[in-house]
Amino acid sequence: MSFSEQFPIVFNSLNVGFLQTLKLFFITLAGSMPLGLLISFGSMSRFKPLSALTRTFVWIIRGTPLMLQLLVVYYFPGLVFHNPIWGGGEGGRFLASAVAFIVNYSCYFSEIYRGGIQGVPYGQQEAGQVLGLSKTQIFFKITLLQMIKRIVPPMSNEIITLVKDTSLARIIALQEIIWAGEGFMKGSQGISGQIWPLFFTGIYYLVFSGILTVLFGRLEKKLDYFKT
Amino acid sequence: MKMKKILAVLMALIMVVTCFAACGKEKTDLQYVKDKGTLIVGVTDFAPMDYKDADGNWIGFDADLAREFAKYLGVEIQFSEIKWGNKIMELDGKSIDCAWNGMTLTDEVLNSMACTKAYCTNAQVIVVAADKAEQYKTAKACKDLRFAVEDGSAGEEQAEANGFKYTEVDTQASALLEVAGGTCDAAIIDLLMAGALIGEGTSYANLTYTVSLNSEEYGVGFRKGSDLAEEFNKFFAEKTASGEIAKLAEKYGVQEAIIK
Repeated sequence: MSFSEQFPIVFNSLNVGFLQTLKLFFITLAGSMPLGLLISFGSMSRFKPLSALTRTFVWIIRGTPLMLQLLVVYYFPGLVFHNPIWGGGEGGRFLASAVAFIVNYSCYFSEIYRGGIQGVPYGQQEAGQVLGLSKTQIFFKITLLQMIKRIVPPMSNEIITLVKDTSLARIIALQEIIWAGEGFMKGSQGISGQIWPLFFTGIYYLVFSGILTVLFGRLEKKLDYFKT
Repeated sequence: MKMKKILAVLMALIMVVTCFAACGKEKTDLQYVKDKGTLIVGVTDFAPMDYKDADGNWIGFDADLAREFAKYLGVEIQFSEIKWGNKIMELDGKSIDCAWNGMTLTDEVLNSMACTKAYCTNAQVIVVAADKAEQYKTAKACKDLRFAVEDGSAGEEQAEANGFKYTEVDTQASALLEVAGGTCDAAIIDLLMAGALIGEGTSYANLTYTVSLNSEEYGVGFRKGSDLAEEFNKFFAEKTASGEIAKLAEKYGVQEAIIK
């Protein structure tokens, strides 16, 4: 089969794979950004047992490889509890990946949030108290926007890493784009022994992270109207 | 303060939910699959045994046979594409019910699964660059080469048995990539696979296979202790007698390899 005959088949299969990559990426973002905030509150809590518990949890998640966490999330329910909650299908593998990614990334995000919140000068909170604002009001009206401005650069860093980390999910056979590319090395849809589709996947990642870089650059500029 | 208390309760809830446990009752594997109503077959893309047609349906000698077997058991069939190196974990974790993908009955497989009788024969072959093939016509001549083998494959067992120096890689296809890229001198892969993956029209036109290291046999693997393996043996004997196996083998061009 010539290259021009192969290309549409490979292109189609890589697109299907990349759709899975994108799905995992966006679901992870949607889940881990709010969960990260919750965890950052936990680790900043003045209630000692809660902050100790959360910090231990963050330590465990940040201190072990994501690949291992994927294996634990997917295989442990069946192996240890004899209750295979995910099932063997593609949907179950995706759910398990999403859970592992959301938990993992929310821990990283929580530390970025914590830095952003604690970076806002304490005097501003005191000023808020003097004005008679409640703690919730102080957080949403004074701290939050300044925190967002501060965390954009480290968050964009982490989010671009996430784009590429999604490829780890193939350890539990989630058929994302690298899996699709590798498929043609052994043989898939009548094309076998082809190396180029695997390396071609790099272009997808490059384009997508390029778009994200531009978007984050714009966001940074938009938030530039006040100084901290 | 109120928000903190709510948060504290929420966090505690999350911790509790993650510590679930459920214990299944002991029943035979056959009963388990029948109750569940589906047989989940763990496969990889491996022509001519398991591969996808243009509509994305699984076909191939193993896939069609698995479909017949599910019909024989009276359950639905579901194919699940797995990472082959994880097959034992997939079985024990019950995300699949059997590994059925041209699986060589190695010692590792026989020890960790309930395997059926062999139904097909195969061999492991040495793949080298075509321009050097003349020098490497015997296993002995290959002694000083650096090999690439798939982690946990029958090829790895052969490399070990022959005392070769080898590197373990992810898949048989990446083993070929090592040879093509020159990072290893040779690879050991399945004969059935070598036929499809290297030579004219592939990225590996400059590779060829020389030595056949052994002959080996394919079987189906079920969970350790499963009674489904015995059930398959009965099924296979029945279908061989009725001539259906021979017909299926001819469809995929593997009739020479089938064990009668």
